[in-house]
Amino acid sequence: MTRDALKVLLFTIGLVVLFVWAGEVITRASGGAEAAVLGEGVSVENGEQIFWGPGKCHTCHSAGTRGSNVRCPNLGASADGSEIGLRSVERARERSEELGQEMSPVEYLVESIVSPSAHVVEGYKDEMPKVYEPPISLGADEISSVILYLQALGGVPEPGRIVLPAEIRMAGLGGGSTEPWAPYLAGDTLRGSEIFFDVEGPAPCAKCHRVGDRGGDIGPELTGVAGTRPARFIVESVLQPSLEIASGYETVLIQLTDGRLLDGVVRSESADSLWLVTSDGEEVGLEPAEIARRREQELSLMPDNFSDVLTVTDLHDLLAYLFTLR
Amino acid sequence: MRAPAPTGPAGSSGRLAAYAGIVVCLALLLLWPEGLSAAQEGPLTAVDDVRTFFGLNPRKTVWFVAQLHLLFAAFVLGVPIFAVIVEFIGWRTGDRRYDRLAQEFTRLLAAAFATTAALGGLLAFTLYGLYPKFANYFTAIFAPSMYVYAGLFFLETAVLYLYYNSWERLRESKGLHISLGVLLNVVGTVLVFVANSWASYMMAPVGVDESGAFTGTTLQAVANPLWMPLNIHRILGNVTFGGFVVGAYAAVRFLSSRSPEQRAHYDWMGYVGNFVGLAALIPLPFAGYYLGREIYSASPVMGNNMMGGAFSWTFIMQAMLVGLLFIAANYYLWSGMSRIPGAERYRHFTKYFNVVLIVCVAVWLTPRNIPLTAGEQLALGGQVHPILGYLGLMSAKNAVINLIILTTFASLLLYRRANKTDLVPISQQPARVRMVVVGAGALCFLILAWYGWVLLRLQPASLDLAPEKAVYFRIVALLLFLGIAVAVTCVILTLRDRGQLAQILYFTFAAATCAGFLGVYGFIVMVEANPFLRQVAVAQWLVLMTALILITGIDVVLFRRARKMGRIRWGEVTGRSQYALISLCVTIVLTMGLMGFVRSGLRENWHIYGVMRDTSQWAFTPSHASMAQMVGSITLVFLGAIAFLFWLAGLGKTRSREARRASGASGRDGAREAT
Repeated sequence: MTRDALKVLLFTIGLVVLFVWAGEVITRASGGAEAAVLGEGVSVENGEQIFWGPGKCHTCHSAGTRGSNVRCPNLGASADGSEIGLRSVERARERSEELGQEMSPVEYLVESIVSPSAHVVEGYKDEMPKVYEPPISLGADEISSVILYLQALGGVPEPGRIVLPAEIRMAGLGGGSTEPWAPYLAGDTLRGSEIFFDVEGPAPCAKCHRVGDRGGDIGPELTGVAGTRPARFIVESVLQPSLEIASGYETVLIQLTDGRLLDGVVRSESADSLWLVTSDGEEVGLEPAEIARRREQELSLMPDNFSDVLTVTDLHDLLAYLFTLR
Repeated sequence: MRAPAPTGPAGSSGRLAAYAGIVVCLALLLLWPEGLSAAQEGPLTAVDDVRTFFGLNPRKTVWFVAQLHLLFAAFVLGVPIFAVIVEFIGWRTGDRRYDRLAQEFTRLLAAAFATTAALGGLLAFTLYGLYPKFANYFTAIFAPSMYVYAGLFFLETAVLYLYYNSWERLRESKGLHISLGVLLNVVGTVLVFVANSWASYMMAPVGVDESGAFTGTTLQAVANPLWMPLNIHRILGNVTFGGFVVGAYAAVRFLSSRSPEQRAHYDWMGYVGNFVGLAALIPLPFAGYYLGREIYSASPVMGNNMMGGAFSWTFIMQAMLVGLLFIAANYYLWSGMSRIPGAERYRHFTKYFNVVLIVCVAVWLTPRNIPLTAGEQLALGGQVHPILGYLGLMSAKNAVINLIILTTFASLLLYRRANKTDLVPISQQPARVRMVVVGAGALCFLILAWYGWVLLRLQPASLDLAPEKAVYFRIVALLLFLGIAVAVTCVILTLRDRGQLAQILYFTFAAATCAGFLGVYGFIVMVEANPFLRQVAVAQWLVLMTALILITGIDVVLFRRARKMGRIRWGEVTGRSQYALISLCVTIVLTMGLMGFVRSGLRENWHIYGVMRDTSQWAFTPSHASMAQMVGSITLVFLGAIAFLFWLAGLGKTRSREARRASGASGRDGAREAT
C-alpha cells in the first residue's frame, strides 16, 4: 500500500472515529446512557420519570426552566403562570364556571389527560394525544403517577382523590391484537347489494344512503366506506346506529309554533332559514319565526332494529356487500 | 517479453482493494464484541415474535443488513442519475470527457447491482427469519407490491445492461441512448418508491382499525402520508450521495496519479462529482423539513419525540455532519479557485464566507439545554444559558440553515464567474435569452404571491389561535409581497444592464429576510402565536428558493459569452482539496446511516407505529454512543465494499487493455510472419 492510500485510509477511519467519539460525548452530556428504572405503584417519583421519559410529556411541555419545549404550556413557574399544582386550582375554578358544575383541581388534571380537547389553553393548538392509547399507551398507574407529579409542582399531591374513568383503567388490557375482525358467515355480496337497494325491503338502506350514483342523501354517502372505516365500525353502525353519529348527520327535534313536531337532519342553516331533511326524506324549509323550540337528539334517524328485521344470513350478506365498498 | 508494470488506475486499484480489506476487517472487529455479548443472553420469551441468529441481537442484525442494503441501493440509484446528467452535458457541450466519465461509472453498476440484490435478499431472509410474525403481517398487506417490486427489478436489470452495452453502438444516436438512461432512472425511481412505501407505512400506517387489524387496500397502504415526502428526500439524497462518491473516487485516483494528464482528468472528475452532489445538497434541507413536517402531521407524538424528545440530540449530531458537508463542499470550491485564472479577484470573500459558515454551524448544533449539576446551574444562572439558550430554539436554527445555503450558493456563484470578464451587456443579448430573466422573475412572483395569498387568507381558528393573532400572519404576507416588488425591480435592473446590482439586491433581501427579520420574528411568534411558527419557516424557505431561482437566472444571462481570462488549469489543485472530497463522501455515508437510525428509531418499540409492538427484550432505543458505533461500522464496511467494487471494475479494464495490447502484438507478429 502506498503512502497516499494509507493516508486516505487513516483519514477515513479518523473521520469515523470522530463521529463515534461525538456519539460518546453526546450520550454522556445528555445522560442518555442512564436508563430510568420505574418503581412499583403510584408515586410522585414515578410520575416524574414518566413525564420526562416514556410518557413523552416533555416533548411538548417544559416545567419551569427544566426542558426546552414550548409547543404546549409550560407546567412550571413561567410566562404561562404559576406551577401547575397551583395553577390547577384556578383552572378548575374557571372550568367549573364554564361547565356549571363543580370541578376540583385534581379533576381538572384528570380531564386534561383523559379529554385533552375539552379545554385548550389559549395560544396553543388542540393537539395533545390521548396518552393511554398507542403509541404512548400509559397504564392507569402511570397516569396517576404523572398527575401526582403535576400536583407536586407547587401543590400537594392527593393520591386518594385521583379517579380515572373506566376507559383508562381498561386501556392496554386488550391491545396489540393484529387479528382482523371477521364476520361469522362469508355472506353473498350480490344478495347483500339487492337488500341494500331494495327500498321496499326490510332494510331499505339506499333510501337514505348513496353508493356511487344510486341512493338517497339523508344519511352519509357509503361509496368507499370500507376503505376508510374498519369492519367493526361498519357492523356497529348497522346494528347500533346511535353509538357514533357521523358529523353533520346529527338528528334535531324541532317544535313548530303551531305545535307540530319535526325530526330530521339540518341540511343548511342561515339567519333567515333552516332546511331540514326529515326521516321520510322530505326537505322542509323553515323560517326562524316558525320555530318554537329546537333540541339536538342523541338518537340517529337510522332505525336500530336491523337485528330484528334481518335474518343472520341477510345481515351477513348485507355486510359482505358493504365490505366491498372500497 | 516482460509484462508491463501496472500503472495508473491498475496500480491504485490494487491499493484500493487492500484498503477495502482493511476497512472491512476493522468494521467486523468493531461489531464482534456485540455479537459475543448478545450470545450470552438468556432464552427468548416470545419465540413466535422474534428469533435470534447465532446469538446475535436480531434488531441490530436487521439494522446492519438493512442500512448496508440502503447504502448500496442509494449507490445504484444515485450513480445512474449522475451518469445520465453527465452524459447529457457531454452530448450538449460536445466534451467527450463527460461521456467517458458517465460510461466509466455505469460500468461499476453491474457489480454494485448484484451486491444490492444480494443484500436485499439477505434483508428479506433476516426479516422473515428473525421477525416472522411481523414479516407475515407485513406480507399480508404488501404482497401485491412485492411482485411489482420484483418485476421492476428484472426490468431495471434489463434496461441497465441495455444502457451500458449499447454505449458504443448508439454513439451516433446519443439522444436515443440518453433516453435509455432516462428510462433506467424512471424504472429505478419507481422501484425505490415501492420500497419507500414499505418503510413509510411502518411509520405512518393507514387502513388499520382500533384492534390493529389491517382493513384497507394495498394501494392505500402504499399511498400513506409519509410516502411522497420520503420519496423526495431519498431521491435528492441519492443524487447527493452519487455525486460525492464519484468525487471521492476521483480524489483517491488523483492522489495516487503521477502523470499530469491523469491528475487533470481526476481533478476534473472530482469537480463534476462535487458539483452534482452540491447541487442536490442545497435543496436537501427543504426536503428534510418537508418530511419532518409530515412526520409531525402524521403523528404529533412521533414528531415531538423527533425534535423535542429522545432524538433531539440525534439532530445535533446531524447538524455536525451536515455542517461538515457544507463546510467541506465550500472549502473544495474555494480551493479549486486556485486553478482558475482571474479567481484571485474573489478570493478575499472566502474568509468571510468561512466565518459565516462556522458561526452558523455552531449555532445549528447548539442544544437548548443539557443536564446540569446544581453547581453548574448556579454558575450558569439557570438551566438554560441566558443568551446561548436562544440559539438552541428552532427559530435560530431555521435562520442559520438558510444562511448556510445562501453562503454556499454565493461560493458557487463566485466559482462560476471566477475566470470571466468583459461581460456582454444583457440589452445586447437575444430576446430569447433575456426571457430567461423574465421567466425566473415570473416564477418567483408566482411563488411569493401564492404563499402571501395563503397567509392572508389563513384563519387563526385553523391554528387554534384567537382572531386578533391574524396580524402575525399579515406581517409575513406583507414581507412576501415586498419580495415580489424586489424581484420585479431586480428583473428591470437586469434588463437595463445592472445585473450584478440586481443580484446583490435580491441576495441582500433574501439574507435579511430569511436569516435576519424572520429569524428574529420567529422568537416573537413562538411566544405570541406559537402554532404559526411552521408557516414562518415555510416563508423563509420560499424566499430562499426564489433567491436561488432569480439569481441563477440572472447569472446565466449575465455571464453568457463573457470573455474568459484563461483556461482552467485542471490538475493544479492542492492535495488538501482532495481530502475535502473524501470527507464529503464519508460524511454523507455517516449522515445516511444516522438518518436511517432516526427514521427507524422514531418508531421506538413498534414494528408498525401504534399498531404492532415489538415486545422483545431488544425493543429499546440505543444510546447515541451505541448508535454511533453501529453507524460507524456500517460506514466502514460499505466504503470498504465500494472500494473493492472499484478495484474489480479497474481490474476488468486493465485486463481488457492488456488483452488488446496482446492481440495487437500477436497480430503484428502474424503479419510479420506472413511477409
